[in-house]
Amino acid sequence: MRRILGDAVVRHVLSRLLLYLFAGLVLVFFALPLLWLVLTPFARTPSFRIPAPSFTLHNFRILLDNPFALRSIGNSLILAGGTALLAVVFAGTAAYALSRVRLPGRDALLYAILLLSSIVTGTAAMVPIFLMLFQLHLIDNRLALILVLTGGLLPSAMFILKDFMDTVPKSYEESARVFGASPLQILRHVVAPVVRPGLATIAVWAVVQVWGNFLLPYILLQQQTKQPAAVIMYTFYDEGGQPNFALISTFSLLYSVPVVAAYLLVNRRYGFRFQGGIKG
Amino acid sequence: MAGLGVGRAVLFVVPALALIAAFLVFPALWTLYLGVLKYDVTGSNAAAPEFVGLHNYTDALADPQFANSVLLTLAFVGLSAVIGQNGLGFLLAATLRRAAGWVRTLVNATVLLSWILPGTVVVFLWQALLDRNGGTLNALLGTPGAAWTLDHPLATIVVFNVWRGTAFSMLLYSAALDAVPTSHLETARLYGSGPLRTFRDVVLPHIRGHILTNTLLITLWTFNDFTPYMLTGGGPDHRSETLPVYVYRTSIEGGQLGFGSAISLIMLVINLVIALFYLRLLRRRGG
Amino acid sequence: MAAIELAQLEKTYPGGVRAVDGLSLTIADGEFFALLGPSGCGKTTLLRTIAGLEDATGGTLSIGERDVTRLAPGQRDVAMVFQDYALFPHMTVLDNIAYPLRIKRIARPARHERARQTGDGLELAELMARRPAELSGGQQQRVALARAVVAHPSAFLFDEPLSNLDARLRLSARTFLKRLQRELGVTTIFVTHDQAEALAMADRIAVMEAGRIRQVGTPREVFGRPANTFVANFIGSTPMNLLPATVTDHRLVLAAGSLPAPDHLADGTRVTVGIRPEYLDFSATAVPDALTGTVGIVEHLGTSSLVTLETEGGPVGVVVPEDDEPAAGAPGWAVPRPGRVLLYDTESGDLIPD
Repeated sequence: MRRILGDAVVRHVLSRLLLYLFAGLVLVFFALPLLWLVLTPFARTPSFRIPAPSFTLHNFRILLDNPFALRSIGNSLILAGGTALLAVVFAGTAAYALSRVRLPGRDALLYAILLLSSIVTGTAAMVPIFLMLFQLHLIDNRLALILVLTGGLLPSAMFILKDFMDTVPKSYEESARVFGASPLQILRHVVAPVVRPGLATIAVWAVVQVWGNFLLPYILLQQQTKQPAAVIMYTFYDEGGQPNFALISTFSLLYSVPVVAAYLLVNRRYGFRFQGGIKG
Repeated sequence: MAGLGVGRAVLFVVPALALIAAFLVFPALWTLYLGVLKYDVTGSNAAAPEFVGLHNYTDALADPQFANSVLLTLAFVGLSAVIGQNGLGFLLAATLRRAAGWVRTLVNATVLLSWILPGTVVVFLWQALLDRNGGTLNALLGTPGAAWTLDHPLATIVVFNVWRGTAFSMLLYSAALDAVPTSHLETARLYGSGPLRTFRDVVLPHIRGHILTNTLLITLWTFNDFTPYMLTGGGPDHRSETLPVYVYRTSIEGGQLGFGSAISLIMLVINLVIALFYLRLLRRRGG
Repeated sequence: MAAIELAQLEKTYPGGVRAVDGLSLTIADGEFFALLGPSGCGKTTLLRTIAGLEDATGGTLSIGERDVTRLAPGQRDVAMVFQDYALFPHMTVLDNIAYPLRIKRIARPARHERARQTGDGLELAELMARRPAELSGGQQQRVALARAVVAHPSAFLFDEPLSNLDARLRLSARTFLKRLQRELGVTTIFVTHDQAEALAMADRIAVMEAGRIRQVGTPREVFGRPANTFVANFIGSTPMNLLPATVTDHRLVLAAGSLPAPDHLADGTRVTVGIRPEYLDFSATAVPDALTGTVGIVEHLGTSSLVTLETEGGPVGVVVPEDDEPAAGAPGWAVPRPGRVLLYDTESGDLIPD
């Protein structure tokens, strides 16, 4: 073969083969667990195993009949929505002020709080945060949890939004000012509409971060009726007894759809812009 | 100036700073204080925690479970993040560049999906895969009854974490490789440099900084990862009890808040060291 | 419609930098006034101080007999057009133009009507529903102008109004702006670093350097009789020739030749002789009262050419008609036209009066 085709060609073909073999292996490795999620919700007899493809919507009936399942999705929405709202408002106004007014130590402050948010993770701070809320009798309080979650997201949000606001030309606001607009009017008429895409991005990002958060709701909420989807799922398959596959599979699918949709949305709009370093 | 004025600006910043102070600054500083107390949720110390100086720390050092935790965490981070995610992510980024469009899209999408899906979902997907009686893995390998999570807990969480986190490294290295100027690569090729040498002389210098920063970042995240708790519960018999799980067991479950705070402080300090390294590297590279 | 008066106006920044250094200036009602100077001279700071975007740290400012020094920008009854036009990207052209009226709390139907009328006057009738991003540079400028005009302010302030336009558009925009200002008759101050622009458009020009005014005058005055060497250097598309000379025997003796000297200068006085290349006539044969040298580079400028004469005293620029280009290397003489030789004090750089 070598005589007929030549060294380079053989090498090329081999390397191509290896490449696709590798890609194939990787694909199997990553896809295998995922297949369960895609197929089981529609399977006639859901179990641990990836089912032979079949189609029924019966499992979704079971999902709808479960009182905790849908309520927990509602709780996730409350937590995610509440956190996103607070994050956008607080980080937005703060970023605006930091972008426009040269407060002393501004840049150092931003880097410091960004550093802080990387260090004080939910895991590293679970003890003091738990104790703090415990002593304030705020355990099992969804508003308190929302505030905690917001606090963790604010530094990154402020950093990103300030960058964003910096790119809005000051001439817009100055122009409005010379026409006689008050600072509040300037914010409403000129600034907010222009930075809307940035605010929307932060909102989506916040929702995604909170949607999947397990630890904080797990330790800070008690009643099952208040638990978000992340934690309820965990209790679906605790020890003793078979896990309810119909419930778990359909619930997993339902629970996953919003996050996947959010990523698709952001990707379509902004491309997967890789903000090297900032988790998102 | 946009007429905002320093006074109003301060007002705008206060709510955000207040939340940050309450839930980031204060907890971190509080661990300094709590760590030197014997503070249990129940029992005699609940009402009146007593000052015990560095006893919590010495207790920790003497506790074999703590040493076990630290070693497991080192192994977990080293194997799944530094080697696993890094290596696999880089390999994927490097090889997919030369694959056909649809192959790249398919593999990318699948890998990304593993990263995007909520944590509790993927944990169950793996539990289903690994189940000793009904799991797909045993069915495929023809090893019925093999109890992966029971017999190989560390390996389980390592493999899981590689699966879970590779996407990030893949994206980062993909961007980094894209940024290597084609003119440099072409110059190397014109000089007759083979793929391995080109990699060493042209590609590596350009991405060396990225390798370092990526490693630090995923180290930080993996170190703080609580997922082992959901996957194996830290067991069986503490055999996959990484530091986050250890902290949870002793303080939230076990009620030893003073002790847990001391360990938390250690974790915070380690986080700080990693984060500072990362910042300095970023600064040196010019952001 | 109002006159603008600055008295010892000063803007000093916290670091001690004096961007506007005690300026006094009167701009007549309806005048088209230019602030001209190199970057960093303080012209934009001055404009912003007049607008109220910067607070004056000293002196007073009045617009139309009203002392506005301490008033907020929105209360000075001026309109400002920024270099990037600052059109609000999320509003339509109509809403942009109507914006000043919205701040004045005029009801929507009324303000839209007035905006339309103003827009019609600037040929924007068909663009009212568009967003700024869909407009060309020239159209954006007209929208910005319409927005400035619609509220009938006492004065217009333009910050580098033409620099955002293509070079081609710039020239037609010059004529357009000048005609518009004449029709409206509103006092207008505009800032520019382009001396040709200032000369073409302004009724009067203030040439600024380092926070101070170096000369105020009509374009003709500023071009023909620059008050000092800074202005002489700055004005004119081709740089003025500035050559050292000593008065000897009632003649100006330069390294490149000698010229007649005015009577009132004593022998031995050292001066700088200023003569524009456009006011030198080239001769291929020797003539008296001329500067002499060898023809060096010849630059083709269109209907004329710039000849650089290499003389004993350095290069001297001479503008010649396009048909009379001399050959490189040939000897040449440059004769100044009568009355065009300016003399400057060697130390202060100020013009020595006749």
